[in-house]
Amino acid sequence: MKKTPFISPLAWFEEMIDHCYDYAETAHVKGAPIVGIMCEYTPREIIMAAGGIPVCLCGGSAQRISSAEKHLPANLCPLIKSTFGYHLEKANPFLEWADLLVAETTCDGKKKMYELLAETRPMHVLELPQKVDDPDAFEHWVCELRKLRDFLEKRYRTRVTAARLRRAIATMNRERRLRRELAALLQADAPPLTGRQLLDLKSIISGIPADLEQYGMILKWLRSRPESPALRSRVRVLLTGVPVVHGAERVVDLIEKHGGLVVAMENCTGLRPLVDDVDPRASDPLRALAQKYFHLPCSVMTPNRRRLDLIRRLAADYRADCVVDLIWQACLTYDVESARVKRLAEEELKLPFLRIETDYSPSDSARLVVRLEALFETIRRSRR
Amino acid sequence: MIYVGMDAGSRWLKIVLWDGGKRRQIAAGLAEQGTDCQAVAAGLLRKLLRAHRFHECDIGRVVATGYGRNLIRMADTTITEITCHARGVNRLAPAARTVVEIGGQDSKLLRLEPDGRVRDFAMNDRCAAGTGRFLEVVAGRLKISVKKLGSLVHRGIKPAPISSMCIVFAETEILGLLAGGVPPANIVAGVQQSIAVRVAGMTGSILEQPVVFTGGVALVSGMKEALAKVLKCPVSVAPQPQFTGALGAALLAADSPTERNDSGTGALRKI
Repeated sequence: MKKTPFISPLAWFEEMIDHCYDYAETAHVKGAPIVGIMCEYTPREIIMAAGGIPVCLCGGSAQRISSAEKHLPANLCPLIKSTFGYHLEKANPFLEWADLLVAETTCDGKKKMYELLAETRPMHVLELPQKVDDPDAFEHWVCELRKLRDFLEKRYRTRVTAARLRRAIATMNRERRLRRELAALLQADAPPLTGRQLLDLKSIISGIPADLEQYGMILKWLRSRPESPALRSRVRVLLTGVPVVHGAERVVDLIEKHGGLVVAMENCTGLRPLVDDVDPRASDPLRALAQKYFHLPCSVMTPNRRRLDLIRRLAADYRADCVVDLIWQACLTYDVESARVKRLAEEELKLPFLRIETDYSPSDSARLVVRLEALFETIRRSRR
Repeated sequence: MIYVGMDAGSRWLKIVLWDGGKRRQIAAGLAEQGTDCQAVAAGLLRKLLRAHRFHECDIGRVVATGYGRNLIRMADTTITEITCHARGVNRLAPAARTVVEIGGQDSKLLRLEPDGRVRDFAMNDRCAAGTGRFLEVVAGRLKISVKKLGSLVHRGIKPAPISSMCIVFAETEILGLLAGGVPPANIVAGVQQSIAVRVAGMTGSILEQPVVFTGGVALVSGMKEALAKVLKCPVSVAPQPQFTGALGAALLAADSPTERNDSGTGALRKI
């Protein structure tokens, strides 16, 4: 190997899409099925154990929205519209390679959009029960995952054995552990990276061996780095709410460009899917998977106490100065649940709370900046 | 030393000069916004300085706030309207616990701690329906000046219902009302009520009194009454309501001469 100038280990994930593209293309050529997923409730492990490559297809591009609005209502979540826009424009190569989509009945907007997708693309829908504390609901979810397993076995003429599931679980647990440890670096007073940098350290395809290796190297490198004193004076923000998918990081950028530091992300692109692993020694690995995934605290669940518990825990562990609740426009469940998050933040945690409802367009950036700066000014002034 | 607060709003730029030694306001002035916020600010500041026989070198610090705060190069730092209005109102009405501020494109509601610090705030997002811009559109449609709008409204007038959530559609609605023979006074009362309802929607469950009304729209007669009626509590208008942001900025400039948000350009100040 020829000598190259120093490149930050973080650079690997700057080309995340390219890496995923190469990985998926190679797999595709070899005949491994690309399976599109659109929600963290879908256990990647089952798809991996069936020999498939699960790829996250959630749209983060504002550009795809106008074509989607020809078919979908304008007043709908931008994530749903963007995902659907990619479908219409055939602009997402991963979706075009996908042999199958595994969708779920999380929110109504997605559920009905999936019906439109399913008109032209093979799809398997998981019915997600929403009474999270009801044992019958859990059994139903176990049943749904069994049906997915059987469906994949039949479609790909393979066996999803317990051993293969355990291998996939081990891979995903390893990835979760590495990403958890990276996120935990932001517990420091002067962390070696920003929340925005952390947000880039994920991939739309999980379990790529090269990615896992890079996570390890990045961890080692970041742990050896001196503290960043500049980050010490920032206001520590706990971001909660909707996922911040690739391409839709505007609000995180605004927070960090105007005096904040996103120390923890309680959402599906942050810590929420990472905090719990799947029991690798469970006698029934499928049940163990159901156990982990069913308990993800998305606002579609009712009641969703686990989300409040997670916010409590993260606010303490990451010493948040405030809570920012991000809601994509017209996301009803997060929007309504925001009242409970506000109460938790202000009354119990005694932390200032800011609710941001927005979409992918930058038209309200200047106004969001006023609100964020005012929040940070208020926090700084109360410290004196 | 004098301290300068500049509030670069969407329609008007306001400046307050504050005497740090004597702790009093020296001057307040405003100029209509044009295409070059920096030039408008410099022109107005020069005018105010000359009128009160001050020179650039007398200026201790400049704080800019408002929509165009980042466009003012002579500012040492920028502070948001939220913090500035709270500071300004706290000076003028120290007991205030709730501040309603309605400007050209903005409406805000601030809740203050007993010591005047901001507890929390709400503001309009992607829509200007509950703001001064709404009144401007209506005044234009009725062919009268914004200032005279309120004089149309008398006690006992029944506000015409304005239901549109959007200024553009509200204009169409108003045309319909006029065509249907509804008197302009009822329409103005209806618009004022609709703005008040919008702002009241920001209060949440608890409204702590006293409530102080500020921002340029507080000058429009009838608005205070419309707000008091909807909020169901007394509302007082801040003295010089269009200047509370600029006053707050000047006071904050005097409060902490060393605090800086971003790279200060004070040393290179050129008006």
